[in-house]
Amino acid sequence: MTDPVTQGKPIEGRQGHYAGAVSRLVAFAADVGASWGLFTLGAAALDFSVQLASGGSFSLTGHPLASLLAVIVWEFFYFSYQWALSGKTIGMAVLGIRVVKTDGAPIGWSQAVARTITLPLSFLFLGLGFLGILVSRDRHALHDRLAGTAVVYSWDARAARLRWLAKQDPTAPSI
Amino acid sequence: MAEQLAQAVAERVVAIVMDAIDMDALIQRIDVDGVVNRVDVDKLIERVDVDKLVDRVDVEKLIERVDVQRIVERVDVKDVVDRIDIDALLEQTELGSIIARSTTGVASEVLDVIRAQGVGLDDFFARWVNRILRRPPESLPEGPPALVMTPARVPELTTGSG
Repeated sequence: MTDPVTQGKPIEGRQGHYAGAVSRLVAFAADVGASWGLFTLGAAALDFSVQLASGGSFSLTGHPLASLLAVIVWEFFYFSYQWALSGKTIGMAVLGIRVVKTDGAPIGWSQAVARTITLPLSFLFLGLGFLGILVSRDRHALHDRLAGTAVVYSWDARAARLRWLAKQDPTAPSI
Repeated sequence: MAEQLAQAVAERVVAIVMDAIDMDALIQRIDVDGVVNRVDVDKLIERVDVDKLVDRVDVEKLIERVDVQRIVERVDVKDVVDRIDIDALLEQTELGSIIARSTTGVASEVLDVIRAQGVGLDDFFARWVNRILRRPPESLPEGPPALVMTPARVPELTTGSG
């Protein structure tokens, strides 16, 4: 029976290797969804609080400039705080990848902030900055080069395999 | 009286002879290997009272003199781990059920599958890009130096028998 986790491929021992384009893209998409969901939730909570306190209503939809500013500040906070704290965002944690310095050391606040500020530059010219993940030797996007960071797999495939093997044990109690 | 005299003479002669002998030269002429070969070690060991010998050893003192840190540093843990047959271990022990009880959940299983698919697709695209750019994959760095610096390439475990 083929291991559904690894599909028979030798992916164990990938921790610390440069992460590929698909994992990074899916993680980013998950982050966009998560940050947007949290932002919407926060805006609704703010509206509710204003209603409770003053009886009136407050909605960002009526203030495009304030909305844009709030989104920019929130996205900056969302990415830079998580990167500085653990080297990974929610989406990256799901995909088992994390940001490190180019030498492999954990990143600090300066790299996290620099990476967040330079991230939009990779979107310029139809996302040309992201092409580096596919074609460069060390899978660096433009913002990685500017901030001095790299993205690596942090996923422990060996543990996943152990879990899968454990599930094959007929004596194991069902959870 | 004569006997005492003979004894005294003998002692004196032996002392003079012993002084005259060059012990180093004598030892050099002895075929130590030949002597050792003639010794019946098994018989010798049989005569040794091991229990009495062990009783005289101060184990505590012996352990104190051992530099455990130095021994541990010399152990290639990665090699030891790689030599463990995890499948057999899980089959023969209760480890499997323990792990299953503690870590297996639907969420972690889904995560594992998503990640494995991600890595698979990463490899797929990387393979094609390398083919188009005509660059050998082994010439590319695997990761940041501090994270992938290993003295020798550890053989990766292949999974599943199909």
